[in-house]
Amino acid sequence: MQQSNLDFEYKFGFSMPQKYTFKSKKGLDEGVVKMISQMKKEPVWMTEFRLKAYGIFKKKPMPDWGADLSKINFDSMYYYIKPTDKQVNSWEDLPAEIKNTYDRIGVPEAEKKFLAGVSAQYESEVVYESINKELNKQGVLFCDMDTGLKKYPHLVKKYFGTLIPPHDNKFAALNSATWSGGSFVYIPKGVKVKMPLQAYFRINAERFGQFERTLIIAEEGAYVHYIEGCTAPIYTTQSLHSAVVEIFVHKNARVRYTTVQNWSNNVYNLVTKRARADENAIMEWVDCNIGSKVTMKYPSVYLYGEGARGEVLSIAYAGKNQHQDAGAKMLHFAPRTSSRIISKSISKAGGRTSYRGLVQIMPGAKKSSVYVSCDALILDEKSRSDTYPYMKIKQNDVSIQHEATVEKLGEEKLFYLTSKGISKSDAEGLLVNGFIDPVVKEIPLEYSIELNRLINLEMSGSVG
Amino acid sequence: MATFINLNKTKNHTVTLNKSGKYAAFLHNLSGKFIFELKEKNIYLDIYGLFVGKKTDKFEVETIQHHIGPECTSNLLIKGVFYDESKFIYQGLIRLEKSAQKSHAYQKNQNLMMSDKCFLDSRPFLEILANDVFCTHGSTTGRLNEDQLHYLQTRAIAKKTAEQLLIDGFINEILGKIAAYESKEHTKRLSDFSSS
Repeated sequence: MQQSNLDFEYKFGFSMPQKYTFKSKKGLDEGVVKMISQMKKEPVWMTEFRLKAYGIFKKKPMPDWGADLSKINFDSMYYYIKPTDKQVNSWEDLPAEIKNTYDRIGVPEAEKKFLAGVSAQYESEVVYESINKELNKQGVLFCDMDTGLKKYPHLVKKYFGTLIPPHDNKFAALNSATWSGGSFVYIPKGVKVKMPLQAYFRINAERFGQFERTLIIAEEGAYVHYIEGCTAPIYTTQSLHSAVVEIFVHKNARVRYTTVQNWSNNVYNLVTKRARADENAIMEWVDCNIGSKVTMKYPSVYLYGEGARGEVLSIAYAGKNQHQDAGAKMLHFAPRTSSRIISKSISKAGGRTSYRGLVQIMPGAKKSSVYVSCDALILDEKSRSDTYPYMKIKQNDVSIQHEATVEKLGEEKLFYLTSKGISKSDAEGLLVNGFIDPVVKEIPLEYSIELNRLINLEMSGSVG
Repeated sequence: MATFINLNKTKNHTVTLNKSGKYAAFLHNLSGKFIFELKEKNIYLDIYGLFVGKKTDKFEVETIQHHIGPECTSNLLIKGVFYDESKFIYQGLIRLEKSAQKSHAYQKNQNLMMSDKCFLDSRPFLEILANDVFCTHGSTTGRLNEDQLHYLQTRAIAKKTAEQLLIDGFINEILGKIAAYESKEHTKRLSDFSSS
């Protein structure tokens, strides 16, 4: 029998020598929070917001559910690192190490083909940024969050922290106190951005928590597809990544947010993502969690406007020592709102995947409909899969459907494929790729190819 | 014929099965935590639950299908009809231990909401630690099918009667399954329970 294993060398697991202009001391206190705000020359309201959030962070308990977070040591982390003094606009101006790192992930390659704008985050500041001229002409704003705060303070102040306030949860509070970088996207009324906007995130410093903050505003009738892809180098001590993403989808607008998360297996990925959908707006999350040690992430849609629609399509893969606790939340506040959640998870080599989701129908959300489908594959006897869906229904004129299955790879299918001369690991790869295909086909081509390759790699243990 | 366990009569909250064989359990309008432990090989267990909530009735129900032995099947079906301001809070867990290889576990919860003041909370959980298994759960919640109601009304059946016909059909799935074990009078009494 051909052995299939997961012990491949992590493709993006390299780390560059650290060359930083500034690094805060270990641990977090009011001084560090103030210092971050001062370094960034922020307005007073933001400094106050950060300090208030820090107070909430200190008081909030750790979540008593979900994955094991007991190994996180907040005092041994750095909360702010500034890699280079100023931002650069062209690829040539980037420092050699940073450029090297990006070259290995393939940022310029991808850009040539597809990108409307790249905003690549290396440590806490966005150091490389190029925005398509056409986007500028349309009035689209796409920059890092720090620049957004400097250049468009009124817009930022109006939306920032209103959908995910610091007291939402401990990690949202931590992010609110220490946030740095992330993206700011504003699409004016009626503007449809044809090409996806992309941002790459990386963690490079050991024990460094990365707290990016993203705010996307789509005005009436606007459309944008935002893509976030992550890869990170391997380190021996735990890193923490705790982002906050707030998205406002106004009347008749549509936003799609695609994530391909492939942190190395020492990263705690604890992310709060939430969108508000107004009248007839559409919000779609496409969420792929392949890497990290622990992920806790439940992209949400608050359906506030009549006829709004929310969708979450997600893939989770958990290999050795990984726990993916991911899912979705749909809250129906208005009549004729609809939502759909499709979740596909795979656990292997002792990995654990948990789907955790909430569907809530508030009184008055008449004629709303919900469809939830969670499928899980368990590939060996060491692995585990859980499903924890919550449904709270306070309105009778609705239709709610939930279904879930857990199974192993079909033996007949495997047998059929191997009888045609396909090796067992290739056959497994084919079947797993077929299993996740309904979600993968929603992802832009270059990502879906990468994902299919990654799955084959995970199944066979060799780079194809 | 399967061994019948009527939880309304036995008042037990934990059902431990140590012998291979077929079993059927039934509960009607009971709140509490009900644990079904399948400890031996080749146990086949059906669990049927029926809930009819009226006025300010409140049911808080938790079921656990705990598979420890291998090659077992458990099959849970809970149906509920909720009127007025009744509340139904249901949490169902299927847990398959590593030792429970080649097991099948199913869980289905179907609810009819007859009033816009009733409240429903359904949490069908799965915790699967074995790989050579097959598990599904499904949950549906909604109103009576409008097409079916309309059809009956076009046949000159009054709306109230048509609704009652559809509700009877809905809960008869459970009554039919347990009819073989229970006396006719009892099933008839249950059916009376369901009418509004």
